[in-house]
Amino acid sequence: MSAPVPRHPPRLSPEARPRMTLILRIGLLAALALLVVALVAYLLEHPGATSASALASNPILHYLNLPGLAAGLAGGRPEAWMTLGLLVLLATPLVRVLTGTYYFHQDGERTMTAITVVVFLLLLVGILVIGPFLP
Amino acid sequence: MDLGLFVLLIALAAILAGLVGSLTGLGGALIVIPVLVIAFGVDFPTAAGAGLMTILATSSTTGAAYLRDRLTDLRIGMFLEIATVPGALVGAAATVFLTHANLEDALLIALGCVLFAIVPVSLAHRTEELPTGVVPDARSERLGLWGTYHDTALDQDVDYQAARTTPALGVMFGAGLVSGMFGIGGGVFKVVALEHFLRMPMKVATATSNFMIGVTGAAGAGILLAAGFVNPLVAAPAAMGTALGAFLGSQLLPGLRNRTVRLLFLPVIAGLGVEVVLRGLGIA
Repeated sequence: MSAPVPRHPPRLSPEARPRMTLILRIGLLAALALLVVALVAYLLEHPGATSASALASNPILHYLNLPGLAAGLAGGRPEAWMTLGLLVLLATPLVRVLTGTYYFHQDGERTMTAITVVVFLLLLVGILVIGPFLP
Repeated sequence: MDLGLFVLLIALAAILAGLVGSLTGLGGALIVIPVLVIAFGVDFPTAAGAGLMTILATSSTTGAAYLRDRLTDLRIGMFLEIATVPGALVGAAATVFLTHANLEDALLIALGCVLFAIVPVSLAHRTEELPTGVVPDARSERLGLWGTYHDTALDQDVDYQAARTTPALGVMFGAGLVSGMFGIGGGVFKVVALEHFLRMPMKVATATSNFMIGVTGAAGAGILLAAGFVNPLVAAPAAMGTALGAFLGSQLLPGLRNRTVRLLFLPVIAGLGVEVVLRGLGIA
């Protein structure tokens, strides 16, 4: 038996594919730009630093909460800007999932909309609940 | 070592890892993580955190390219993320727990075992260009898990439909677990599930796996970042280097991405597995 022939073409809007491509590209470029600039700034600010000191303590620990991150960004701290770069990198796939939710909802596909909403919520639970509250 | 030199060397090693990972289809994180542990003295959770950030960067690079080529099945990919994401959450949480329980060595040994497991899976994996005898299941019918792509090599439109979705979801949960726990993409396991259970054509399976890896990686990365295991002085050069290496691999030598190249590098993966296990056992 050969592969079955679809009864009709895939229903997801043709706009979804270019939009997702654009989101992935913009997210990646923004994250990498932030990381490069902040990393260079950090190295210039710590001329005598060694790999041992860098591995002994994570420099972004103080910026992993909203008030700390906001204060660090406002104060131009390279560590805060590196944290922002990592967050943009992390957020890019989440925005891609939300884009899927939008197009499935627009096409009236309840089950697929629900699946993408559940995936998005699980990702948020990981970042906002599981990670910060693990022992 | 001077920090600037340390960052530069990680970036260079990551470019090489990204290049090899791209050519072999195994992913750069699979090579970056053991190299960070063995050559740079990075502890395992920090290496895993860097590996997940590497996955986010490379999946955005390659995922965008596959999306543009219309090989990725968005519907099937997003459907399977319902299994990979919980798997990755459980895996990453397990890594945090085991690290706090001073069981890092056990994680290293487990990582070495996963590296070993990838070798026979890759060797036994027989790709079928176009699957035949596919019997779609009820879930596949209900959710419309089918599609069409244009195969440039065959110069024809190819129709396909997913089968056996329940065991595929189980394998995807396992792939997510491995990804979240060790910081690797787990693409090898995802492609196996897509080809052998869902019976997808090889090209669609590879593209859809790449599309899914980013979201699976984000699930694990979110937990490790929030738990303080993502050190940007390691993760940033690793992610940037691997993304660049993956881009170079896809642009410069696309014709080399085949089974032969993978076979050439499988001994390297096995060697890294041996070294990582020895480290975990306190021998190396």
